[in-house]
Amino acid sequence: MKWSIIKNDFIRNKTIHLALFLFMMFSTCLAVLSVITAVQTFTSISTLYEIAQPPHFLQMHKGEIDQEEIRSFMKKNPLVTYSQIATMIDIYGENLTVIGPNAHYDLSDCRLDIGLVKQNATKDLLLDSSHQKVTLGQGEIGIPVLLKEMYGIAIGEHIILTDNSVRKEFVVKEIILDSMMNSPMVSSTRILLSDKDFDELVGIVGEIEYLVEAYFSNTKQANDFKTAYEDASLAQNGQAITYAMIFTLSALTDIVMVLVLLLVSILLIIVSFICVKFSIMAALEEEVREIGTMKAIGLSFTDIRALYLTKYRVLALVGVGVGYVVALLCSNVITKHISSTFGYIQTSALTGVLSLAVSVLVFLLITYYCKKILKKIRKLTVVDALVSGKGFDKDTKSIKDGLHTAKKLSVNSLMATREVLHAYKNWIVVFSVVLIAVMMIMVPVNLLYTFEAPEFITYMGSSLEDILIEVENGEQLEPNYTKVKQILENDSSIKNYYEYRTTRVKTTNSKHVPMNLDIDSGDMAGNGLQYLSGKAPEGQHELALSFLNADELEKGVGDTVELMFHATKQEFVISGIYQDVTSGGLTAKSKRQFPFLAAKKYSFSVNLKDSAVIVGKAVEWAAIFGAGVTVDPMEAFINQTLGGVTKQLRTMVFAIALLGASLAMLITVLFMKLRLAKDLSEITILKAIGFSKRDIHMQYMIKIGLVSLSGILAGVVLTNFLGEKIVNAALGIAGLGIKQVHLITNLAMEYLICPIVLMALVLLVTALVVRTIENYTIVSIIKE
Amino acid sequence: MNTVLEVKNLRKSFEDEQVLHDITFKVDEGEFIAIMGQSGSGKSTLLYSISGMDSPTSGNVLLCGKDISRLDDKDMSEIRLKQMGFVFQHSYLLKNLSIRDNIVLPGFKAGTLSREEINQNADELMKKTGIYAVGSHDIKQVSGGELQRTAICRALINHPDILFGDEPTGSLNSSTTKEVMDIINSVNREGTTVIIVTHDAKVATRASRVIYLMDGNIHAELALGSYEDDEQSKAWREKIVSEWLQKQGF
Repeated sequence: MKWSIIKNDFIRNKTIHLALFLFMMFSTCLAVLSVITAVQTFTSISTLYEIAQPPHFLQMHKGEIDQEEIRSFMKKNPLVTYSQIATMIDIYGENLTVIGPNAHYDLSDCRLDIGLVKQNATKDLLLDSSHQKVTLGQGEIGIPVLLKEMYGIAIGEHIILTDNSVRKEFVVKEIILDSMMNSPMVSSTRILLSDKDFDELVGIVGEIEYLVEAYFSNTKQANDFKTAYEDASLAQNGQAITYAMIFTLSALTDIVMVLVLLLVSILLIIVSFICVKFSIMAALEEEVREIGTMKAIGLSFTDIRALYLTKYRVLALVGVGVGYVVALLCSNVITKHISSTFGYIQTSALTGVLSLAVSVLVFLLITYYCKKILKKIRKLTVVDALVSGKGFDKDTKSIKDGLHTAKKLSVNSLMATREVLHAYKNWIVVFSVVLIAVMMIMVPVNLLYTFEAPEFITYMGSSLEDILIEVENGEQLEPNYTKVKQILENDSSIKNYYEYRTTRVKTTNSKHVPMNLDIDSGDMAGNGLQYLSGKAPEGQHELALSFLNADELEKGVGDTVELMFHATKQEFVISGIYQDVTSGGLTAKSKRQFPFLAAKKYSFSVNLKDSAVIVGKAVEWAAIFGAGVTVDPMEAFINQTLGGVTKQLRTMVFAIALLGASLAMLITVLFMKLRLAKDLSEITILKAIGFSKRDIHMQYMIKIGLVSLSGILAGVVLTNFLGEKIVNAALGIAGLGIKQVHLITNLAMEYLICPIVLMALVLLVTALVVRTIENYTIVSIIKE
Repeated sequence: MNTVLEVKNLRKSFEDEQVLHDITFKVDEGEFIAIMGQSGSGKSTLLYSISGMDSPTSGNVLLCGKDISRLDDKDMSEIRLKQMGFVFQHSYLLKNLSIRDNIVLPGFKAGTLSREEINQNADELMKKTGIYAVGSHDIKQVSGGELQRTAICRALINHPDILFGDEPTGSLNSSTTKEVMDIINSVNREGTTVIIVTHDAKVATRASRVIYLMDGNIHAELALGSYEDDEQSKAWREKIVSEWLQKQGF
């Protein structure tokens, strides 16, 4: 009996039940997808890190190296549990030509430093997509995922290495995962060769660079070790980087994706719950007479509720079940990038258990929520249901008296405005959906815009200039500096340039352990950066610290740091803290020069008179300066470092925008269908007293227009107020080195395109649904 | 007398069933017509067909000489708004508006008078029908009789040429029925033509002419003349109507 009632009810109220089913399905699907993606991302990353074992400390060094001295130092250092020195052959993109069935090109436009390596024995391994250590035969080559994504290099294609009259051909055997250098933000990438090929080529082609790698029992010991290593004056003309920064740079892209997905699914679950409530209330109101009749023939509240609850439980079970299955089917698409970057991970038992647990949780939440809403049946009296026609509305106050006082507004506008203003609860679904759609679209759009904006680089520790020139540490440091300076002085195309001298100054960390601070000094040092707190240093006794250094020193703005130089100690006040991904994230800025300390690096930021010649000038200077000096046009630098993040984020933002807009349309359609069913008698009355169909259309369009406009406005305000906080909270949770991002608003998108498109779509579907009132005749409704 | 409404060979069918057969009659200005008949005789269908709420299958309905049987939605709405008033068995008021707002709404929509004038008219109508005191009330706060009076005020706000009523007292008790019918008679006396459908013989005695429908045809008509509010006249009308209805098999 109960089942036949439920079955008939499903068939009778198809629209409402379909809407409820879809909402439940969407909620589950997204919640499960978020869990799968989050678990897959973190499992993939941790599995890759566990097997590949990237170093906790890495010092790169070009040129001669005393390996014995380093090994002996490592042995003596109590922090080190394992160490190795790997050799890498640095080559240029133009040395590599790819030949495939439809390809013949070289990698000369690649701005990454390319290194040829052989497989390490046990740590810092290069893996295949199944997380297995890759072993290559002679003539075989392993290409990193990064180059595969940039150039579409495929397994089976041929790569020809030409340098110093050497020509060697390889076949791409594997696409390799590099735990340490899998992001373009790292600026280096490694290509794997067989031991035999590598040994054959080393010293003949390219330039040799050493990777000095150390491991500790605790990755946090990396900073202490770094100071000890630097003080020992061991090989260190390249960049030093610690585990924290390796993780940040490698995982940034995918963690940002997970965070965006989580944000979107949370917003969608909220929408779904609002819709579930609305749909159930609409269904109950439609069935108010049946409920009244059941009460009248003696069924108790519990009996009636049980009947409805069984119905909603069945619906929730089907909705959640289908949502779960759809999520499982879609998860491969979503986790594709994670698998290709961090390796394929068989869906773990944890993923299975968690996604099932999330589905059960969504089911329980929905049924609990239904139970709560169904409590309204208890308050419904037989008289309210069958006699007075008050139904569930008896406690709610109708619109206030006052239409007659309106002076000018047209009647259609008046009716629509009054309803939206006084009965806003009826429209909360559309309001919430539009608001959430705006946030859902705009927060990721602004995040993408921020990543794409040239200014973003100022959040990453670099000021925004046309060209960056770095004179690298080494024997040629001072001659190279003089050469660069001379050329810049005499180049008439330069508008202005600033130079910075990096020196290593001693201080002590929070545990009073000596540590080194690499300070960039110069008249403009620290200017043009975005500060997490405080500002650029001004006086001779001020210092700005990178976030990682401030963390290590446990200091904040206004605190003092004692620097030791020229055999004296001097206190510097911390003027500001900024985040930095350059130079391993461990930097400091000061106006004070330390002329008696040896320079570790020189850098120049150059602005040209004509921005059109930036790239040409960079190429020209790079050729003049030669080895030991890097010249980077800022735009290319940004594209190179953040290109990977923005490319993937752009795809995701597009998908989210589509999802947001589709969701707003779908929910508006379902809402309007339910609304029209609910308003049937009102529409009939309006028609009977002389309102035309056009008038009624107009009223609904104004109502939806007003509601969606207010939803858009609220969405824009919340995006501006909360968007940044959400992104920063999410970045904080993710434990990335990036602590704070000031979202740059895409003005045209936020204030023009998104609102107009969203509103147009919502109005379009409203117009289509409202058209169905053409089929309503006054008589058929009056006779009911 | 001018003819307000002229119905010519009106037919109405629902699927294969013909409900009205070649109905033809005229209504003069100021007349009060009561349409009676057994259940299923087609009286409500006739009322809806001649008031533009439903379109006839064939035939013509002329309101003040203009054929309204084939008008589009916009023109028909305009006529319903400005030339017709309608009172249903249930008041069918808009629940989101107060009593007063329900009344002024069609006036505001028509826009033939200023909003100030419409409010004044509404005040007068409410005073006349005894609902002035509840003007600002929510429709859930007033009685059934007051709701029906509100519906009458709303129907009259644009001074229609003709007032239609489908069992306007069908859901009211006898004392409220009398009050509502007194109002309708008073409106009629002031010149508004009235056509109502009723089951109630007592209500029919208020009309100047009674049309009796049987199986979709006009079976008989009874002319009663103008309604006078004195006991002797009322008793006479009740006797005449009762006997006449008996004769029709009602």
